[in-house]
Amino acid sequence: MILEMKNIQKHFGDHEVLRDISLSVDKGEVVSVIGPSGSGKSTLLRCATFLETIDGGEISYMGNCAVKTKPDGEVSYVDAKDLRRFRNYYELVFQQFNLFPHYSILKNLTDAPIHVQGRSKEQAEQTAMELLDKMGIADKAEAYPYQLSGGQQQRVAIARALAMDPEILFFDEPTSALDPELTGEVLKVIRQLAESHMTMVVVTHEMPFAKAVSNRVIFMADGVIVEQGDPEQVFDNPQEERTKQFLRVFER
Amino acid sequence: MTLSTMLSTMGVGMLRTFAVFSLTLLGSLPLGMIVALLKKSRFAPVRLFISGYISIIRGTPLMLQLLVWYFGPFYLFGMNIGNWRFPALIFGFVVNYAAYFAEIYRGGIESIPVGQYEAAEVLGYTHTQTFMRIILPQVVKRIMPSVTNEVITLVKDTSLAFTLAYQEVFSLAKQISASQTSFMPFLIAGIFYFVANYVVEFAMQRIEKWMDYYK
Ligand SMILES: Nc1ncnc2c1ncn2[C@@H]1O[C@H](COP(=O)(O)OP(=O)(O)O)[C@@H](O)[C@H]1O
Ligand SMILES: [Mg+2]
Repeated sequence: MILEMKNIQKHFGDHEVLRDISLSVDKGEVVSVIGPSGSGKSTLLRCATFLETIDGGEISYMGNCAVKTKPDGEVSYVDAKDLRRFRNYYELVFQQFNLFPHYSILKNLTDAPIHVQGRSKEQAEQTAMELLDKMGIADKAEAYPYQLSGGQQQRVAIARALAMDPEILFFDEPTSALDPELTGEVLKVIRQLAESHMTMVVVTHEMPFAKAVSNRVIFMADGVIVEQGDPEQVFDNPQEERTKQFLRVFER
Repeated sequence: MTLSTMLSTMGVGMLRTFAVFSLTLLGSLPLGMIVALLKKSRFAPVRLFISGYISIIRGTPLMLQLLVWYFGPFYLFGMNIGNWRFPALIFGFVVNYAAYFAEIYRGGIESIPVGQYEAAEVLGYTHTQTFMRIILPQVVKRIMPSVTNEVITLVKDTSLAFTLAYQEVFSLAKQISASQTSFMPFLIAGIFYFVANYVVEFAMQRIEKWMDYYK
């Protein structure tokens, strides 16, 4: 088990955004998360990546517990130094890319491996060039983010995440900020990763893509998992009325 | 008085002006960063102190602040410090300019999108690394125009050193003009300030251009 989230609760003020959500991801699994906007998908990923603190539940990576909730309801995280160790297990690809604009593409990919993981410059650069090659943008190594199209920037962001050699990769609507004609090139890259059995959790509105690449689809609404299962089952034969209603919008 | 003696007398004043200018920058540019970071401190008393300091500095004339630095130790604490004129002057300028630079830095830091912090955090950078490697370089680029403005103001503000009878170029110009009944010293001082600012603008533009490799 790479990731195990149990009974996660999260609220902003008195707005309960995640109510008792549990999610486990096995090695090599590709899990798609779909659902209406505001249902808590981003919050789920942000809790999994410790960008938000949870208000209840338990999160483990590779069998190591990062946060748990005591019977009296007190939530306890491991200390900051240990938490940084957990950050080695995962990476997150953002909707808005969040590349570092003052670094060249190559440096975007090598800076963290060198300064966070302590790899040698030569090794980091070699890995980076291989990844850029895989992403089809090796010729952009010396360019700066502003010189790239949105689709290319998102591929760089994916490469930057992969350069850290994570166990699991999270995507938060990786194509939502892109012009429609640019989504294909990004989805193709993610599909290749799925074929090479990269463990991934992908929040997406691209239903045909989700159906094609995932081993499991999770439908979320109002902070709960309404339904989950094989893509065929969830897309072609949904059991819950809420799921059917949501999917109907995409069929038009 | 020949023109060349006038020029050499005023040249000494120019050097003194340059001393005030460069020492002020040397002190206030880094101190401003410390102030800006302290203003974001977790401890409320620290934040309160810094806010108070910034509003007092911005709410009172620099000339008055210089007088307080010079006379304060004696009138407030009965201290007699030898050779206090120049240190008081530099303290006054540094503490004043640090407040203004702090506000510029703070604005710059707050203008960096939160996504930059989040990307760095997920990649595993420490807080210090995030600030030094990711945030600060982008802040420096963004605040360059405001810093240039402030530095140009400083070139002109150095003339306030006359308040403490420090013989920089402006004080000397007044004295020489009075004793020689000549307009020339003012002309020389004016050209000096103008050229100094021209150099500052040119240098800052070069720096801005150099940082233009990204957007
Ligand atoms: N930092 C925050 N403060 C307050 N409310 C938030 C915050 N982040 C998200 N929310 C709220 O939580 C709900 C779920 O948001 P989100 O996880 O972004 O949903 P999704 O990604 O499924 O669209 C929304 O109602 C949103 O307004
Ligand atoms: Mg979202």
